[in-house]
Amino acid sequence: MAARLAAAPAAAPETPFLSVLGLKKYFGGVKALDGVSFSLEEGEVHALVGENGAGKSTLIKILSGVFPYDSGEISLAGDAYRPSSPHNAKGHGIQVVHQEFNLLDHLTIAENISIEDMPTGRFGLLDRKEMNRRARQALDAIGLTDINVTQPVSSLGIAHRQLVEIARALQSKSRILILDEPTATLTERETKRLFDIVGGIKADGVTVVFVSHHLDEVFAICDRVTVFRNGKTIATDLISEMTPEGVVQRMVGRKLAEGLEDQETHATGETALRVENLLTQANPGETGVSLDLKAGEIVGIAGLVGAGRTEILRGIFGIDPVRAGTIHRNGKEVRFNGPKDAIAAGIGFVTEDRKDEGLILDMPIAANMSLASLKSVSKSGLLQLASETKRAREGGAKLKLKYGKTSDAVSSLSGGNQQKVVLAKWLARGPQVLLLDEPTRGVDVGAKAEIYAILKDLAREGVALLVVSSEMPELMTLADRILVLAEHRIQGELGRADFSEENILKLAYGQTPEAAGDTQ
Amino acid sequence: MTTDTLQEAAPPVSKFSVRTVLHNAGIGLALLALILFFSVFTEHFLTPNNITNILTQITINLILAVGMTFVILIGGIDLSVGSVMAFAAVVAGKAITLPGFGPAEAIALAIVAATLTGVLCGFLNGAISAYWALPSFIITLGMLNIARGAALQVSEAQTIYSFPFAFEEFGSAMIYGVPVVFLVALVLVFIAWFVLNFTVFGRLIYGIGNNEEAVRLAGHSVSRYKIAAFTICGLTAGIAAIVYMARLNISSPIAGIGFELNAIAAVIIGGTSLSGGRGSVIGTLLGAFIIGVLANGLILIGLSDFMRQMITGVVIIVAVILDYYRAKYAST
Repeated sequence: MAARLAAAPAAAPETPFLSVLGLKKYFGGVKALDGVSFSLEEGEVHALVGENGAGKSTLIKILSGVFPYDSGEISLAGDAYRPSSPHNAKGHGIQVVHQEFNLLDHLTIAENISIEDMPTGRFGLLDRKEMNRRARQALDAIGLTDINVTQPVSSLGIAHRQLVEIARALQSKSRILILDEPTATLTERETKRLFDIVGGIKADGVTVVFVSHHLDEVFAICDRVTVFRNGKTIATDLISEMTPEGVVQRMVGRKLAEGLEDQETHATGETALRVENLLTQANPGETGVSLDLKAGEIVGIAGLVGAGRTEILRGIFGIDPVRAGTIHRNGKEVRFNGPKDAIAAGIGFVTEDRKDEGLILDMPIAANMSLASLKSVSKSGLLQLASETKRAREGGAKLKLKYGKTSDAVSSLSGGNQQKVVLAKWLARGPQVLLLDEPTRGVDVGAKAEIYAILKDLAREGVALLVVSSEMPELMTLADRILVLAEHRIQGELGRADFSEENILKLAYGQTPEAAGDTQ
Repeated sequence: MTTDTLQEAAPPVSKFSVRTVLHNAGIGLALLALILFFSVFTEHFLTPNNITNILTQITINLILAVGMTFVILIGGIDLSVGSVMAFAAVVAGKAITLPGFGPAEAIALAIVAATLTGVLCGFLNGAISAYWALPSFIITLGMLNIARGAALQVSEAQTIYSFPFAFEEFGSAMIYGVPVVFLVALVLVFIAWFVLNFTVFGRLIYGIGNNEEAVRLAGHSVSRYKIAAFTICGLTAGIAAIVYMARLNISSPIAGIGFELNAIAAVIIGGTSLSGGRGSVIGTLLGAFIIGVLANGLILIGLSDFMRQMITGVVIIVAVILDYYRAKYAST
């Protein structure tokens, strides 16, 4: 770290450190970038925002040497820059911390950090001591002094893995560090730690490019923001002269219809799902989780990563065996031996991870939508393809899905539309209870609002929804009440009147906020 | 708008099919090129006799490869089919030579015995690897030895012969120069094609090969489908055993050594991905033809059997390399 470039504050903004001019990139006939221009000044934190598919990821891949570009100019510190490979880009001091992790699970933290440049001793043998020393130094530099570098990466939580990736990126000499949605999997506390680290990196003179769907984060740590739309850059603004609303408007190119002020409460019906003292296998304690969910109600579950939120949903849905506790559906005790039983009982589960659990990416949209309701598009085992197509089109229209043909592979859709396909898959069954885990992760602002509207409509139709989310504004927008988990226990419950990020956070950190002393 | 609607009216698997068709066209073209090459450079390749020969030669491999396609589509592999075929043939051979049955009963008994043996072995392969979530590679490697040993044990290492005449007739029967046993194989290809493309079962076979977890969370019993795929593979080994017996009029406990590798080769040359989820049984049909045409043509051209083996190996590697580029092209 110490060997990195001497800090040179951006004294002369007229000569940008990196400048991109009229960059274009095509994939076959598809325009991915259609005229991208922006610049980076040395030592700034620069945000790139825009809906999914707006071109941010493509730009990052070009800067980091994954793709070549077709036309336009990039110059780095005054020289033309055309990286031939990721290795070459790293040689120029451009490092990317990807949204998806690139760590080798079974190797130690130290091995992961040194993987690109293993220190060797005499005879070319691995110098383990030096490797561990470097890793120690890299972790210390970002404040992870409490982590042992000789433990395997697989023993780390998701947040720490992210930080190890950052440590690895910084360990090589970075001039530009690109963070691609670094907070997607982090809780608020971990995000704050990351921001402290970013502040430190910036102070060392490294330029940070920050890609995020969270505008509050952008406004918290960035100096400037560049907005992308449809493969073009719309504008670059100083954060100090911009408002979040202004940025959103630039992103979507229209005024956002759905505000967060929708405070309607709707009538709720009978208890659709009751869980008593559910003890998941991940829960080390003896106190289980109990909750009630009424028809037409949206209940949010908040909590830090590791508080056991996903585990509750997986337990209810019969994916993971539960140690103890009972589940009642419409007043009757039920026992699910697998997702099959839960589905038969009218429950659906929109999982957190679209790629691994929700979708069959290479298969058509229609096939994905019918995956949980194959009986209704088949007769004695024979698929009725015409009826499947028809239902897929209806489902797509209902959710305002943007797609070419129902026979296109789901992988051709943007993140928001993929998420709609996951929703459509469950809606095709007409579930009475819908469990949702991070329903808008990696989804752009416009599609997010649409998904919120869909979920609220479902509640109005009498579906009971249980929503796990790391985004507090999301829960406060959607939920009628929020249960806050801390260490696998329900630490408290908040009614709409008590909704505030402060109250949620206090409960999530195991405290009891004054305002939420009386739960509803 | 009208064109859009027209395209929309196509069944939702159409993209799959369009891609499969294009990609089968590639394999088909390769096959055509081979046929052209051998027709030009050898006198006897394109004679009715030789064509009948080729069809007869590829029949058993094609039957085994049809079952293998199901297993590979779910991301598995079955190394035991050659041994299972021998085992089924020996059991059926014992059954068909039992004293006290008329020819019709004896043949029926043999058919039942062979298919049941195959189904049982396939079921065990599937059930064991699904229940304990173990790699099918190693389970079927075990079955390869078990079935071979069982074949030798049951037959006391003796070749069984003197089958009813009607059985022999079936093995060598022709319709317009096309061996009846090959038609049997073609019917199996058609059934498999239909099942894979137009049934819930087939849809889930592809689904499991692509993303097992998503299929499980959608409420389907993944292990049941896995067991079914292996059972189908065992069934085709049993059917191959019957064809083998009818063709050669013997049941040998050392039949079918290495047949599993030829069946896998046909599936892979046919463009089915070894990691599962992508491919088609039509590709398998073409793959089996490519292997058969190569084997026949290269001998006619005057190459030794050793050279033929080397060239078949090269073709397998080239097919997989082509598949790599196809996958890469498809993903961008």
